Amino acid sequence: MTGENHASARAKARRIFDRDAGTIEASAYVDPEIYQLELDSVFKRCWLFLAHETQIPKAGDFLSTYMGEDPVVVVRQKDGGVKAFLNQCRHRGMRLCRSDAGQARNFSCIYHGWVYDLGGELINVPLEEHAYGKVDHKAWSARAVPRIARYKGLIFGCWDENAPEFTDYLGDAAFYLDILLDRSPAGTEAIGGIHKWVIPCNWKFAAEQFASDSYHAMFAHLSAVAVTIPGGSYAGSDGGDGRQYSSDRGHGTGFMLDAGRRELLSAFVGPEVGRYAMEEGMASAVDRLGHVRGQRMHAQHMTVFPNFSFLPSVNTVRVWHPKGPNEIEVWAWSLVEADASDEVKEAYRVGGLRSFSASGIFEQEDGENWVEIQRVLQSPTARDTLFHVGMGMGKSRKDDPDFPGEVGWIFSEHAARGFYAQWQRLLTEPEAPVIPAAADKEAGHDA
Amino acid sequence: MMLEVKDDLAQMLLHYRIERFFYGEAALLDDRRYPEWLALFAPDIRYVMPLRTTRTGRDLKHEFGGPKDSAMFDEDHASLDMRVRKFASGTNWAEDPPSRTRHFITNLRVDGETDEGIAVRTAFLVYRNRLERQTEIFAGERQDVLRPHEGGFRIARRRILLDQSTLLTSSLSFFI
Ligand code: FES
Ligand SMILES: [Fe+2]
Repeated sequence: MTGENHASARAKARRIFDRDAGTIEASAYVDPEIYQLELDSVFKRCWLFLAHETQIPKAGDFLSTYMGEDPVVVVRQKDGGVKAFLNQCRHRGMRLCRSDAGQARNFSCIYHGWVYDLGGELINVPLEEHAYGKVDHKAWSARAVPRIARYKGLIFGCWDENAPEFTDYLGDAAFYLDILLDRSPAGTEAIGGIHKWVIPCNWKFAAEQFASDSYHAMFAHLSAVAVTIPGGSYAGSDGGDGRQYSSDRGHGTGFMLDAGRRELLSAFVGPEVGRYAMEEGMASAVDRLGHVRGQRMHAQHMTVFPNFSFLPSVNTVRVWHPKGPNEIEVWAWSLVEADASDEVKEAYRVGGLRSFSASGIFEQEDGENWVEIQRVLQSPTARDTLFHVGMGMGKSRKDDPDFPGEVGWIFSEHAARGFYAQWQRLLTEPEAPVIPAAADKEAGHDA
Repeated sequence: MMLEVKDDLAQMLLHYRIERFFYGEAALLDDRRYPEWLALFAPDIRYVMPLRTTRTGRDLKHEFGGPKDSAMFDEDHASLDMRVRKFASGTNWAEDPPSRTRHFITNLRVDGETDEGIAVRTAFLVYRNRLERQTEIFAGERQDVLRPHEGGFRIARRRILLDQSTLLTSSLSFFI
C-alpha cells in the first residue's frame, strides 16, 4: 500500500499473537517495526473517529485532530457537509492550520501564502501568474480524507477509498454503540472542551482495555470505589451478572446487567446522573432501544476498532492517538442527551471530569498501569515474554437471544482476542478486506 | 507623604501575611498533609483549572474553557474532600508510591478587595518527581480569592491557569 517493505514486521505479527493458545508476545506493544506496520495496515485502512457534529456546528467551524499520526483538519462546509484533509500545505509542507479549533473563512499557509478553501482545495497562489504561469489548483489541493461517514452525531473518516460502508464496518457492534448515541430522540451534544494528555504507553493497552476489561475495575479502581460507594464495594465475590461481546471486526464491549445500575452510575458521575438514568433518561432509552439496552445493561465500556473508546451512560468518549510505539495522546470529552435538563448537563459536566479525565479519580489508575507496563517493556527479556490473554476461552457463544455477536460472561477476554485477531489479520494480510470474508468461522472461533 | 508611607506599610504587611499563608499551604502539599490542606478552603470553595487550547492571536478569547465547558478540575468542597480521602484509601495506586513535589509560589500581586474577599494572583512552579525517574514541571498562574478567617485566611475561590494545552503528564493525581 505504501510501497514500504513490511515483510519482517508481518512475519512477527503472524507469530506474536496465538488465539488458540490465548497468548500475546509483549513485543506487540513496543516493536517499532510492528508500529510502522500498524500505521499503514490499521490506521490507513480503518474508520477513525474525527469529531462530534456539535463540535463544529457552523459553516467554517474547524477542529484539528489526528488520524493515526496524520494531522488532519475537520471542517464544516457551507452546505452543512463535513470535509477533512491532511493538515499540510502542498507547496513545501508547512502545517496549514495551527489552531486546535476555531472559525475560518479559508486556510492560508503562513510560509508563502498559498490559500485553501474550507474543503482543502487550493484557491490562491501569490504571484501565480508571474512566478508559475499556472498552477493546477485541483491537483495541488490539500490531501482530502476520501471517505467521511456521519453516524448518529459522530463523524468518522477513512483514508481507504475502498473501505466498506461505516455501518458495515460496525456490523453488529452498532447494537452496542447505539446505547451511547441513541437513547433520546433529540440525540446527543458534546460538552465543550477536549481533554488532551500524554500517556507514555502503547495505544493497544488502552483500546484493548475498553474493549475487553471489566476485570481490572474492581482492583485498579479500588481507591475511587472506596470514596464514592458507601461500603466501598460494588460486586459480590462471584463478580455479578454481565456479558462481553466480541466482533469479527475487532470491536468489543463489556457490561453489567441489572443490579447496581443506579449505585454505579452515581459513583461514576454523581447522584443526579444516577437519578436521570433511572427516570427520564431510562424512559426514553427503553422506548428507543428496548428493555435490554435501555434498562438492563449498565457499566458498559466499549472500543470501536481500532482506537475509539467510550463508556455509555457515563458518557465519556475518547480517542487514543498513537504517538510512536511507546506513547499515546488521550483526547477525551463528554456527551450528553441534547434534551436533558440544564441540571443534568451540569451534573454530567462536573461528574465526567471528576471521574474520567487526566484528573479523574477513576482514570488516574489506568494511566498508572499502562505507564508502568510500558517502562518494563523497555527490557529485552520483558519484550519477548508471553502475556496471558486466555480468560474465558471456549466459553463464548453466538446464539444469545438478547445480544448479537459473539457473547460470553463479562469477565472474559474473548473481546481482547477478537481485537487482536483483527489486528493480526490486518497486519498480515494487506490485500484482504477489512471485514473478514469468512466472518462466521472467525467470529465463532471461541465458541 | 506620611500617608503614602503608611499605605505602603499596610500593603507590605498584607503581602507578608498572604505570602506566609501560601508558603504554609505549599508546605502542606509537599508534606502530603492533605486533610490539613483541605482545611484551608472555605466551605463554599470553587476550585477550577480550565482546559486550555492553542489559538491564533485574534482568537485568544477562546483560549480558556468557559463555565459550561469541561475543565481539568472543577471542584467544590465535597469533591475536593473526595480526592483527599482517595489519598488515604490505602489503594491510591496513582500516588502510591507517592509523588515527590515542590510547590514554588511567587510573583504575588494583590488585585484588591471584592465582596468575596481579597483577590490575589501568584505564579507557581510545581516540580513533580515519582517512581524511578518520572519528572515533570508545571508552571502557571493561580487566581485566588482569600477570605480573612481567624487571624489568617481561607481560600474562597481558586482558578488555576496552567501553561500547557496538551497536558504533559499521565495523570493529575496531585494538586497544583
Ligand atoms: S509551504 Fe505553504 S505556501 Fe509554501
Ligand atoms: Fe479503568
